[in-house]
Amino acid sequence: MHASRGSAIARVATIVRKELVDMFRDRRTAMVTLLSAIAAGPIFLMLIFNLIANQADRARDLTLPVVGREHAPALAAFLERQEVTLTEAPADYEARLKSGDLDVVLVIDPRFARDVGDGKQATVRLVYDRSRDRARPLIDQAESLLRAYSRLWGQQRLVLRGIAASVASPLTIEDVDLATPQQSGALVLFLVAYYGLFASVMGGMAVSLDSTAGERERQSLEPLLTTPARPAEIVAGKWLAACAFNALVVLLTLTGFYLTLSFAPLPPVGVPFLFGAREFLRFLVVLVPMILLLPAVLLYVGSRARAYKEAQANVSVLLFVVSLLPVVQLFLQRKEPEWISLVPVSGQYSLLNVALRGEALPLAQLALSYVVPLALAFVALAAVARLISRESILAGK
Amino acid sequence: MIDVDGLAKSFGKRGEVHAVAGVTFDAPAGAITGLLGPNGAGKTTLLRMLATLVVPDAGRATIGGLDIVRDRYALRERIGVLSDARGLYLRLTARENIRYYGALHGLAGGALDARVEGLIAALGLDAIADRRAQGFSQGERMKVAIARALVHDPMTILLDEPTNGLDIMSVRALRDQLRSLRGEGKCLLFSSHVMQEVAALCDRIVILAQGRIVAAGTAAELMAQAGTPTLEDAFVALIGSGEGLAA
Repeated sequence: MHASRGSAIARVATIVRKELVDMFRDRRTAMVTLLSAIAAGPIFLMLIFNLIANQADRARDLTLPVVGREHAPALAAFLERQEVTLTEAPADYEARLKSGDLDVVLVIDPRFARDVGDGKQATVRLVYDRSRDRARPLIDQAESLLRAYSRLWGQQRLVLRGIAASVASPLTIEDVDLATPQQSGALVLFLVAYYGLFASVMGGMAVSLDSTAGERERQSLEPLLTTPARPAEIVAGKWLAACAFNALVVLLTLTGFYLTLSFAPLPPVGVPFLFGAREFLRFLVVLVPMILLLPAVLLYVGSRARAYKEAQANVSVLLFVVSLLPVVQLFLQRKEPEWISLVPVSGQYSLLNVALRGEALPLAQLALSYVVPLALAFVALAAVARLISRESILAGK
Repeated sequence: MIDVDGLAKSFGKRGEVHAVAGVTFDAPAGAITGLLGPNGAGKTTLLRMLATLVVPDAGRATIGGLDIVRDRYALRERIGVLSDARGLYLRLTARENIRYYGALHGLAGGALDARVEGLIAALGLDAIADRRAQGFSQGERMKVAIARALVHDPMTILLDEPTNGLDIMSVRALRDQLRSLRGEGKCLLFSSHVMQEVAALCDRIVILAQGRIVAAGTAAELMAQAGTPTLEDAFVALIGSGEGLAA
């Protein structure tokens, strides 16, 4: 008889090693997963940044087509002093607004000069299609310029009558936007947090399903169960291997963000956050429970299925729920309740936002966010161990 | 040696399918015992119980003195099982597939290397040892599966229909391999529904039908018991019908 009897730890290590080799041998799946992890961040950051920069540029260099400029030369001069380029509006401007060729058109009433002379209110019209998001900054800018002109003119009249300008405007409104420096940055904020989270969800998917549903499909589970490896050891080995792969995907994704935000020549749009080494580490700390939980859940789903395809179909439901949670949080306009830290995915999403705002992670909230995912991971793994020690798993080859 | 005493196993919601209904036999060391029966006779269930994968409803069995239920993990270190399902890891090479099982059996270092290389040589796997299992023929897969089952040098070897899907050259190579294991004093239990297969190889034959043993003994004893001139006639006479007989 043989002298050496392996220990449980040695067997788990053997399984981890074999599963990792098996994963990386599936070159196509491994490459697609890892490359998309490292490339997706930079690609979509470039897109978002260019979109924001475009909007900002358009708002800065306002070109305003005008109808009837000759009726209000003083207004035209004021607008030109504000660095607005005035052009002659084409005759079919309404159609062009609808089609999106033009964003906003200023129409000066032909009776403008006469109304002013008669001491009546003069009329100008801003024509636009507000349903088009892209045009909004331009519309707002044109509107505020016209109001500024109106205010200036009114104040001049009061001054001529010997009344202080403050009499007519008792209220001074100062805008203090807390989502500084720029609102558009909030979208980037959401996407970076969302994508980081998504990486931890998707990273272990292919490998978890392959090592469970794939193992059954290949008919290699039954022989594996005839070895001295206990079901719990088999599950632990597969889980650790999937977690390692998942962690690698998350690391690559965050590295992609880090490199892009630190070194890429992105257009200067005033992103309201930093993504430096500190944020990188905080992201990792927040995502650890997800990196551990998702492979456990995916192993469970995978081991319930007889074939890889069946498992994939079941997983898509899970992914739908997971990817929906942060979106719901984004649109939920209220302050998040305390218990949100306990909810897997949601808790992580809110902590990632804290990290992105450059704040230190609240330790109590961080600790809470670990509790449920770790407990769930344990339950899922125990369930997988039970599943593969059931006799029916042999019948359902 | 294998000692089986009254093993029974039922399936279905209320246990209405009696796959194995009280089976008693023994299989000595240094011999090949054939488990012959038509499809659905309960051979795979019986072998799965002996391989400690399925817990019997009744009866008991020991292999080398170890109980198949109580000592299941200790037993797994001493038996080699070629199960009904015998999938390989297709992205691993033949050598890696064998080594994986060796490591799970607690072999390491030089002992593992020596054992794996020995099996590769004995089974004639040199040409494919470093190729991935993906492209293997049925015969090549079978050889790797056998090497995997023998990697820890078990004293007892259970084989469930090992010749299924093999061409005649592979079958002959397999027979030689099993005979040489018998020569080393191992206890082999071999199931098949092909009578010629069992007749060509086995020292003792246990005939199983509908979950029960209908006869056991050497080929000559079985023919004498049934009063027939050939083993095939004896088999048909003993199981009571020609149903499930495959050529």
